[in-house]
Amino acid sequence: MSKGKSNYTSQLRYKFPLPIHPIDDLPLLILHNPVSWICYLYKYMKSHNRLQKRIHVEINGDSFPHILVEDQGQMIYLWDNGFFGTGQLSRSEPTWRSRTSIRLGINDDTLQNEQSAKSQVALEKLTERRRQQRLEFKRERDKSEKQLLELRRKGGSIEEEEALLEKEREALREYKANQLLKSVDEEEPNELRMEDENLIDENGRIIKLESLQLMPVEAIFLSYALPVIDIPIPELMERLCGGTVEYETIHKLITRYVAYHHYRSHGWCVRSGIKFGCDYILYKRGPPFQHAEFCIMVMDAEVPRDYTWYSTVARVTGGARKTFVLCYVQRLVSQDKILEAWDRKDFTTIFSSYKVAEVIYKRWVPGKNRD
Amino acid sequence: MSIAIPANIQISAGEDADLEDDEQTQDWSEIAKLSRTNEAIAVIPKRGEKDFEPDETNMQELLLYRAQKAMFDTLTNFIRGSIIKSQVKAYYIPETHLAYIPQPRGNFMNTMGRATSSGDFFLQFHEFVYLAERGTVTPFIKTEELDIPLSIQDLYVLFKDQNELDTFAIYAHLKRLGFIVTSADDTSYDTTSFYAPSSVCSKRSHLQLLYNALTGSLAQQKISLHNRWFFSPWNFYFQKYTSSPQLYRGLNTLIPSTNIPKTVIDLRGTFRDTVQNENTDLKINFNVWKPQTNYKKKSPGLPDYQVVIYNKNDPSSHFPTYSEIKGIFNSLDYKFEFLQEGMDWDASTYTNGIKRSEYLTSLKSKAKQKKSSDNPMNKNVKTRRPASSFSPQVQQLRRLRNGFRTFLLAIMDDGIISFVKISEADFGSENVWHSPMLHKVRKSPFNRNKKNGKNVEGPQKFSASTIEKK
Repeated sequence: MSKGKSNYTSQLRYKFPLPIHPIDDLPLLILHNPVSWICYLYKYMKSHNRLQKRIHVEINGDSFPHILVEDQGQMIYLWDNGFFGTGQLSRSEPTWRSRTSIRLGINDDTLQNEQSAKSQVALEKLTERRRQQRLEFKRERDKSEKQLLELRRKGGSIEEEEALLEKEREALREYKANQLLKSVDEEEPNELRMEDENLIDENGRIIKLESLQLMPVEAIFLSYALPVIDIPIPELMERLCGGTVEYETIHKLITRYVAYHHYRSHGWCVRSGIKFGCDYILYKRGPPFQHAEFCIMVMDAEVPRDYTWYSTVARVTGGARKTFVLCYVQRLVSQDKILEAWDRKDFTTIFSSYKVAEVIYKRWVPGKNRD
Repeated sequence: MSIAIPANIQISAGEDADLEDDEQTQDWSEIAKLSRTNEAIAVIPKRGEKDFEPDETNMQELLLYRAQKAMFDTLTNFIRGSIIKSQVKAYYIPETHLAYIPQPRGNFMNTMGRATSSGDFFLQFHEFVYLAERGTVTPFIKTEELDIPLSIQDLYVLFKDQNELDTFAIYAHLKRLGFIVTSADDTSYDTTSFYAPSSVCSKRSHLQLLYNALTGSLAQQKISLHNRWFFSPWNFYFQKYTSSPQLYRGLNTLIPSTNIPKTVIDLRGTFRDTVQNENTDLKINFNVWKPQTNYKKKSPGLPDYQVVIYNKNDPSSHFPTYSEIKGIFNSLDYKFEFLQEGMDWDASTYTNGIKRSEYLTSLKSKAKQKKSSDNPMNKNVKTRRPASSFSPQVQQLRRLRNGFRTFLLAIMDDGIISFVKISEADFGSENVWHSPMLHKVRKSPFNRNKKNGKNVEGPQKFSASTIEKK
């Protein structure tokens, strides 16, 4: 399975793009049937969008707060509904526990109701497999190059060489197609190592080791914009920035959040772009469905950087075939106004006092743009 | 030659793959054939297999020899030097910093230089140096007794400052690649503009602006009322949302984003004659046309690109800030490629203050220009599929990837020139959320089985995300 070919399970699993679900189980409303009106009304009045129980977050550390979600079910919930946070022992999706249970051959019943355990292959596994296949393909290609050399040594003509090349190309193409068709094999449980015993508690279950870490902007979004985590926004902001603040200390967090919220609210799945040398990357729907298409750099509108900086980032993002977007965040009111609102804990005023504008930056090669 | 990307291939693989080709070596054998047979239709050669190291076979030697010979043949078959009879003398005039050609002739006259009403032919200084470097004109300076020939070194001494030198380097670079380049501040031609002369519709556009400002602020007020509610802690206690788009619309009200002109009317409303920023010396330096044979120097129409020059090492300048970029966007006047396809450019642009179509009919010879690729005689033309025939998702992705108003920033770093395309993007009015309501999966087990069965045939049905335009 590669990205873009989403299957039915993932459609079900990632059905909701946000951790607050819409009320979508209302009964059918039939105009000429008053009973259905009552049914509908009753159901409508009874249901609400709130979560049953808000997700608990721990914040550890003072100068660099770590915002952690530790409950296994809640970790998975945040990942499945909008792809928030990163598993500390995984690449992004918190899969350590299910990977370990497969590796050790332990049937963990706490994982049974989560589809992630077996039906879903972890992203880490996929990448590993892709690398393996690439290696195998290269070996195959080496073989055909050796054949060509053999032919040359024997003194074959150019026509013979071309025929051989054509044949080999066809064979390689077929090899690649077959590779893609192969499904991911079920992994055999590995042998237990000494240290693996520490991973299992007295009931034979895998202990809780991994937690999900949220970026500060994600935590703000889940507290301020959607009531999902159990820390109120004034408290969270104080924890992140300290009690009394200067404008300089909050400026970066505010602009970054403004950009984050802007893209989230238009339906993008926004994740950290640090792997591509930028602030955010934007996925349509989410990482299991498509590769990220855009790299976002959050910029202060009036602070230019050295050209080398732009060209560096553009090269890296261009190399990963992503579009590089400069997201300029402009402050519309004075710094004092922002600080005033900060003291009032009026974050809506703060965030809506900034405006975003975007510019696409792309290397242009004259020779490729002549007609 | 750019290659139209097939629709079924993801566009993400598109343009940067093109860029990578750039670094590969050229195949000379086809060009050698061209120079011998002089055939007009060039075929892009297919690349062979690449050999990475010497394998000590005769075959490899032979292939290498052939490739080398093709290159040398190409170079040696071409006759070099100039014939005295066809020499064109150009005289540098220190007073005006221009060059005068008493007997102008040659192809360069189609795209360069200009004739005064009295029939004298002048070259701008950068055109003069460019042509002298190529050997097309022979540079002289006139004294009272005799003509003194100038060397290339002499010409370089005559550059006034670093700015002019940068301008020349970028001009020459684009010219050598076949582009047609004119100075943006040169008004000696019949200039064409996308914008109507101010007398015609300034009143209307001012009213339009006022109206926009008013409705904009009203909309802002409405938004702020709504978002105060959505982001209050009580929102989800009283308000119910029955679909994800509703939730998103609530989230949407927080951050205002910049309005981007995308239509003819919007563009005309935001246009400013000059880059409006006192503390910047950035300006549009060049108008650039793609290579074409029917270019009419006297009334060239709208350019394909506009170029702004920036010297990275000049301590008094810096990479443009957002307001500077915006200033440049607002003063752009080129063939906005994002406007509707099949737009009649002659009917919607103005030359010398009148509609270009009227202007063209008033000319004796029909000065309508065509791109070489428009020529029906050219068989190698690949026609592009019209944008509207793509699915809405693809169209949306293209809008996001390509942006709207665009200019080229030419960066000069100690003689090394790079180009960057800067485009205005508008993520603020494109929504990409996936709505599960449209792909609703029913909960009863019977239906689930049914859907499961269906899904085997067409999984792609579920992967489509909904597109909504604000």
